[in-house]
Amino acid sequence: MALLKISEPGGRPAAPAHSLAVGIDLGTTNSLVACSCGGSVQILPDHAKHELLPSVVHYREGQAPLVGEQAKAAALVDPGNTIASVKRLLGMSAAEISSMDRVGRYRLDATRDAGAPAILTAAGPKDPVQVSADILGVLVERAEGCLRGKLEGAVVTVPAYFNDAQRQQTRDAARLAGLNVLRLLNEPTAAAVAYGLDSQDQGNVVVFDLGGGTFDVSLLSMQKGVFEVLATGGDTALGGDDFDHVLADWIASRAELDKPLDALSHGALMHYANEVKHSLSSDETVALSYADWSAQLDRQQFADLCKDLITRTLNTCRRVLRDAALTLDAIDNIVLVGGVTRMPIIREAVADFFGKPPLTNIDPDKVVAIGAGIQADVLIGNKSADNFLLLDVNPLSLGIETMGELTEKIIPRNTTVPVTRAQEFTTFKDSQTAMTLHVVQGERELVSDCRSLARFELRGIPPMVAGAAKVRVTFQVDADGLLSVMAEELSTSKTAQIQVKPSYGLNAGSIEQMLKASHEHAESDMELRTLKEAQLEAAQLIDAITTASEVDGKLLEEHDSQRIAAGIARLEEAVAEENSGRIHELTEQLNRISSDFAARRMDLHIGKALRGESIDDAEHPAESSESP
Amino acid sequence: MQQINKNFFQLFGIAEIFEVDQESLAEKYRGLQVEVHPDQFANAPESEKLRAVQLSSYLNEAYGTLKAPLKRAAYLLSLHDLNVEQVDQAELGMELLVEQIQLREFLEELPEDESALAELESLKSEVFRKLEQRQQSFSSNLEISDLIAAKKNFNEMQFLSKLLKEIESGEEKRMGY
Repeated sequence: MALLKISEPGGRPAAPAHSLAVGIDLGTTNSLVACSCGGSVQILPDHAKHELLPSVVHYREGQAPLVGEQAKAAALVDPGNTIASVKRLLGMSAAEISSMDRVGRYRLDATRDAGAPAILTAAGPKDPVQVSADILGVLVERAEGCLRGKLEGAVVTVPAYFNDAQRQQTRDAARLAGLNVLRLLNEPTAAAVAYGLDSQDQGNVVVFDLGGGTFDVSLLSMQKGVFEVLATGGDTALGGDDFDHVLADWIASRAELDKPLDALSHGALMHYANEVKHSLSSDETVALSYADWSAQLDRQQFADLCKDLITRTLNTCRRVLRDAALTLDAIDNIVLVGGVTRMPIIREAVADFFGKPPLTNIDPDKVVAIGAGIQADVLIGNKSADNFLLLDVNPLSLGIETMGELTEKIIPRNTTVPVTRAQEFTTFKDSQTAMTLHVVQGERELVSDCRSLARFELRGIPPMVAGAAKVRVTFQVDADGLLSVMAEELSTSKTAQIQVKPSYGLNAGSIEQMLKASHEHAESDMELRTLKEAQLEAAQLIDAITTASEVDGKLLEEHDSQRIAAGIARLEEAVAEENSGRIHELTEQLNRISSDFAARRMDLHIGKALRGESIDDAEHPAESSESP
Repeated sequence: MQQINKNFFQLFGIAEIFEVDQESLAEKYRGLQVEVHPDQFANAPESEKLRAVQLSSYLNEAYGTLKAPLKRAAYLLSLHDLNVEQVDQAELGMELLVEQIQLREFLEELPEDESALAELESLKSEVFRKLEQRQQSFSSNLEISDLIAAKKNFNEMQFLSKLLKEIESGEEKRMGY
């Protein structure tokens, strides 16, 4: 018989302290904060019951900044002091901000380093981290008001495609706002969590996230509470705005508007196009009238106009499926994120492509914040962490620059994090004592096509012949997707370590360009790589022969040395002409011409070595006389 | 850090053979990851967090290796002290080289448009079938400790896997994405 349980006198045992932790979706257009209370996750509203906080900040002299709706209103009268869409500025250099700010709305602080730009406002210079922190500050205040207590931790979401710089700055902003960051969580993963915990599903989920300006696709496998990201991909220059543009262009050509439109009429047309797009989400057919032109547009026509945009989203889905090595029939659910996915033409295209309708029961504007709220509740320790785990991947390959400005990938994209990988490198020249390590992020073969993350130097390598030193470079990416790099010279164990703190990150457009280019240029990259390698080989040979002639020139007959000099000159010419086939041919020729010299040199050195002189001493007679 | 001294097979408590039940491997991986992942140490001191990052990384590396047939084969050879980076032409055998050249020539001569898709598809299944055969031979050669034959099978697997990738990218190019 089971024993009856009797509690201690003095009432019920005290409930375990509930720690306050929130999930924050720091969005480009709007930001939200969510908290798990009493078993369900809620979006926390402001006093006026608004859940969405527009991500706009207005700075005033001597006063606290305005954030949200009020700032949005101020943007119309004082655009120079109002910063919108600051998320797009995270990780950018001064030049990148200037090129994006086409209308010249922002004035940049000229005294700042180009890698850490700040915008001049009535309240002084503000960098993207500070602006983001001001938005987060309002959300913290809102949460602490709603929950009547101090926040102990927060999960902040970032686009899966954010690079190291953008992640670092997001985390810095949260810290600046006084938050204890439990985790940076990828937005699609958060969305999957929001759905996954509701339905207790097992299987593979595609998260289709189409925002105002960017598009992300992630494929996750869900098994018993473990969410494992299998692959992620995106198109950072594709968003809801593009659908407005397509519609505006169509109206302009049908209504025979004068081209080009001035700024004011362009603005009015874009506004109208946006309205039409929204109407088409609720109505099958919309009656259009613009200036003295009128017409009818139905959903099918709209879908036809947007065919290219839709195809681009589906191609990204195909690539992600391929990266995960899965076929369409292996996908159990599709989750939609972002307000743009309310468009029926998108929903239908997604349903057609996957052969099943996407899940839509959670508001696509709130789903990310809800998922982050759940994760925050688990990480702070309110909810049992047994069988709840999110395994993310790094979205872009990480590598290091090698000779010839080539990238050696150390951690390929779509590798599950955390991850630690090491690779050994060696010296290029005899007696080389230092090495510059250049850390890059991106998919292309050439360093100049990737994003530079950091450069650091490893000094004090003992002088050895080229290729003898061994330097081990270790990359570590933590669960937040943040990278640290360590380098170590193995024979002396000299370490140079840095936490990679990039001066600036990639802008959204350049990530997409880099990825696209890596698909398009795979071939020309290979050609370029072949050329670079051939040039490198030629340079090494010329260098070796030149050094050898300086030391052992006496071994050469006059006509031999002329032949070698001519061979070098021909090869140098080919290197300048950038013809890899010719470089290769002439390198071999020079090798042949100089092989006799090399053999004689070897004989001499072996002879000396046998007599007890080291090769080094033979090469540096002046130094050898000083040795005991 | 005892876990990090174990080899990948020992870490998952499975036999050091080529045949690995992927479903049970995935389940073990998730179970172990739930224990060691840094998220379980969100409020722990830095030193414990760092240890979690290292352990979790090692687990990811192990899973990533055992999950993929080619990486798993290379790892098994390395456990037998064989250097997989080093390939001797003579080890490969004429037969393989000729077969590779033929398959490659066939691939290169296909038309550059959609009309080649059916051919690509059938080439893909042919290469895939060959790959499976080589994997089976690798498995049985390893079992009888014929490491030289196993290494040859591994090199064949490498060639075929690379060819498969090329066929797939050829398909994508012709489908326009």
